[in-house]
Amino acid sequence: MTRGAKARLFLGIVVLAVLAASALSQEAVAQSGPLAALRQPAPAGFFGWLLSKQALFYRELSGLIRAAKTDGTALWALMGISFIYGIFHSAGPGHGKAVISSYLLANEETWRRGLTLSFASALLQALTAVALVTVAAVLLGATAKMMGDTVHVIETVSYALIVLLGARLLWVKGRAFSRTLQTAKALSATGHADCIHDHHAHDHHTHDHHTHDHCHADDHSHHDHAHEDEVDVLPWGHAHGPEPEELAGPCGWRRGVSAIVAVGLRPCSGAIIVLVFALAQGLFWAGIASTFVMGIGTAITVAAIATLAVGAKSVAKRFAATRAGYGTLMLRGVEVGAAVAVLAFGVLLLTGTMASERMGMF
Amino acid sequence: MIDRFISLIAGLSCLLATTLEASAHPHVWVTMSTDLVYAPDGSVTGVRHAWTFDDMFSAFATQGLEQKTKDQFTREELAPLAKVNVDSLQEYAYFTYAKVNGKRQKDAFSDPIDYYLNYDPKETVLTLHFTLPFKVPVKAKTLDVEVYDPEFFIDFGFAEKDAARLVNAPAQCAISVAKPRDEFFSAAVRLDKSFMASEANAGMGASFANRISVSCP
Repeated sequence: MTRGAKARLFLGIVVLAVLAASALSQEAVAQSGPLAALRQPAPAGFFGWLLSKQALFYRELSGLIRAAKTDGTALWALMGISFIYGIFHSAGPGHGKAVISSYLLANEETWRRGLTLSFASALLQALTAVALVTVAAVLLGATAKMMGDTVHVIETVSYALIVLLGARLLWVKGRAFSRTLQTAKALSATGHADCIHDHHAHDHHTHDHHTHDHCHADDHSHHDHAHEDEVDVLPWGHAHGPEPEELAGPCGWRRGVSAIVAVGLRPCSGAIIVLVFALAQGLFWAGIASTFVMGIGTAITVAAIATLAVGAKSVAKRFAATRAGYGTLMLRGVEVGAAVAVLAFGVLLLTGTMASERMGMF
Repeated sequence: MIDRFISLIAGLSCLLATTLEASAHPHVWVTMSTDLVYAPDGSVTGVRHAWTFDDMFSAFATQGLEQKTKDQFTREELAPLAKVNVDSLQEYAYFTYAKVNGKRQKDAFSDPIDYYLNYDPKETVLTLHFTLPFKVPVKAKTLDVEVYDPEFFIDFGFAEKDAARLVNAPAQCAISVAKPRDEFFSAAVRLDKSFMASEANAGMGASFANRISVSCP
């Protein structure tokens, strides 16, 4: 890599850091109690529009639930609005977009896995909302405050899980990064010239240690000389294509489930309010249907963002493949960054610096 | 190639930034009327709020409460909930911020008094009444009171009628109300009138402050 390229890379990383920091601090400042009064973020443009839309759809829900009591056709409208609301609504905080996309960036994932994660976490979110309201409101006759307190406990667990997920990712990716760093150092000590000027020869076998460390932190067998044919011997499959067995494999699921649960555990406040409203209107089942349809809408938005993340990662991977040692090092660097992001989200959410959602004033 | 990589990083950062930026997410709509209460000496002693919640949140808030008559809640039945509300609101500084002669006051109010909830069985909505006394009564040329949720989980909007009133104010004092949400609303999107039965329904204008201004020259 030339000096100029290094400088530009450095610049790129600085830009990344500044953008991430400003985004986070904006969140943080907006949440910091009375001081928050000193500044008000004023979303305008596209996001302002998006937010205004989702607000309007949400407000439509109550009228449609009322109408559905007497008018069967209102149910269809209710489902339609719930779906669209889900799509728009998940542009807001929560719903795990940031965590899921960072998770996908940090890992070697297929787009199909991205979709699975998005849909599973969104549906789990709908399920927890329905379960909570069924048990608390329908069976126990709990008050709004009790439900709010329960949600608070659930969300604390969920944020703690995100912290654990991030910490684990960081441990795995940090080690991979340092291994790659050592390999790159070793290369520059011995076969530096070869590596830089003759990467075509290396594309397929010599240095492609970037493709199969998903799933395993503690796998040492492949770190600097894995060959294509060796991969198939590994019990956890490989990442060269969206193989269904990869999703179904024990390791694939175990790995994905932690992310699904961490993100999907916390029910959406909006869904809970809609469910309780439907219950009060004597149309609880319509509220349940609406919640699940909303979940599908939410999943679509999250999946779209997840797909972007997976696409970006595969571009980065292709790039890395053409630049032997350093390319892989950068790829590892991005993964470490994404792992740090997951950890940071978890910590900010857990400490209350960044509010995901709040249920009114309870 | 490295340029592509850098633009990729930049693109991802933007993605990350925008997902965070879209923080506004209201689930509660409040339509408010606010009175500024004056003492005989012409100083403002407090801010008297009446906040009407939207029907869905009202249903949620009243879930599980005991009631003697179906579809009715008396002020007594709602008293525990009113207490929960004002207690919780403390954490958010009652979403009410005062500016005296253009200068923002930190911690201007003491704990709310005269708080209670009303239930309107026809509209099935709750209205929370409470008064925020100024720690030190305000005697100033200009007083601004702003109401908003900085996190925008609650969307505040002024009532169509009697959005803000002066109570026992000296004759020379004039009140005005700024509804930035309206401007944003008309500028951003034009929507079907039916969406906008009330000010709160508009649901627009993330985090814009609803400002009441009084000037007593």
